[in-house]
Amino acid sequence: MPDPNRSSHPVHPGRDRVGLGWRGELAAAILTDPESVDVLEVIAEDWLHASRREAAALAALGRVRPLLLHGVSLGLAGSEPVCRRRLDRLARLVERVEPEQWSEHLAFVRAGGIEIGHLAAPPRTEANIAGALANVETASRIVGAMPALENIATLIDPPASVVDEGTWTTAIVEAAGAPMLLDLHNLYANAVNFGTEPAELMHAMPLERVALVHLSGGRWIDARNGQRRLLDDHLHDVPGAVYGLLENLAEAAEQPLTVVIERDGNYPGFAQLLAQVEWARAALARGRARRREAAPWAA
Amino acid sequence: MKPLSLEVMLARLYTDPALRAAFLANPVAVSRRLGLDEDTARALQRIDRAGLELAAESYARKRAARRGRRRGAACLGSGR
Repeated sequence: MPDPNRSSHPVHPGRDRVGLGWRGELAAAILTDPESVDVLEVIAEDWLHASRREAAALAALGRVRPLLLHGVSLGLAGSEPVCRRRLDRLARLVERVEPEQWSEHLAFVRAGGIEIGHLAAPPRTEANIAGALANVETASRIVGAMPALENIATLIDPPASVVDEGTWTTAIVEAAGAPMLLDLHNLYANAVNFGTEPAELMHAMPLERVALVHLSGGRWIDARNGQRRLLDDHLHDVPGAVYGLLENLAEAAEQPLTVVIERDGNYPGFAQLLAQVEWARAALARGRARRREAAPWAA
Repeated sequence: MKPLSLEVMLARLYTDPALRAAFLANPVAVSRRLGLDEDTARALQRIDRAGLELAAESYARKRAARRGRRRGAACLGSGR
C-alpha cells in the first residue's frame, strides 16, 4: 500500500546531482552520452496518454538515468478541487514508470471551467492555502506519493494577497509535509519584478525542505506603460545571478540537492547545455566549500 | 446567483481580451455588471495593471503554442 506521506522513491541520493529536462529535441544528444548528466526530468503531461509500450520505454530510460516526473497542469494551488481524471492518469503513469520523485507547481491553471493555458499565481490568502493543502492531500493519496511542490514565476502581483510569497509557500510546503522543488529562476524573476532582493526571497523559502532545484533563463519584456518585467521563458541560458543563488543555496542547505536545467526551445548546441550543467556543478561545489569553511564540524 | 470567485474572474481577465479591455477602462462598472462581491471588486480595482496585460499576453502565447503542438503532434499527451 503506498504511503502518500512520502515520496515515490524519496530523493536522498547522498550527493548533489545535476541533470537536464528530457525533451525530444535533446534526446539523441543525451542518449549519446547519458552519463554526462546525473538525472533526467520528464514532463508528465507528455506521457499521460502513453500506451503500455511507450510507458515501458520511459521506464527503460529510467534504468539509464534516474527519472523525475514533472507535472504542469494539475493546478494544485487552485481553490477548486484538482481533477480526479488527471490524477488517475498520473497515478497510472507513476506506477508504470516508478520515477524517483514527482513534482507539481503551486499554481492555478483553470477556474470556473476556463483554461488559462499556463501556470498562474493565485491570490495568497488563508482560503487559498487551505484549498492548496486539500489538493496536495488528494493528489498524494491518489498518486500514492507526495509531490515536490514548486514555486512559480508570475508577471502579475496576485491581487487580494494577504501574505507574501515566502510566507505563503512555506505555509503550504510545511503543512503538507512535502519536499520543495525550488525554481531559482522563478524566484529570481519574481524578486526583480516586484522589488525584493533575490537572496532575501530565497531565505524566506523553507530551504530545509528543498530536495530539487530548477534553473532556467528568460528575457525582459515591456508593458505599454513602460514597466519592464522578467519573463521566465526557458528559451535562454541560465543567468549568472541564478548560479549565484544556487551557490548560496548549497551553502545554506544541509541536504543533498538535485538540480535540473530546463530548456524548452531556442536550443543551443548540446555542448553549451552541458557547459551549463558543469557551471551548476561548480556553483554547488563552491557553496558546499563555503559551508564547510563556515562550520567544519557539520561537514 | 453566486458571485464569481476571484480566481474565476482572474481566469476570465487572462483569457478574454474584450473583457480585459473593458475592465481596464472601467473596473467599477465591469465589476458591478458581473455581480462581483465587494471584496473581490475592491481587490481587482487595485490590480497590477501592467502585470495583468503582460501575464494575459504570455498566457495567450502559451495557448497558441499548445494548439500548434497539438496540430503537429503525432501522439502523447497534452503538452506543456
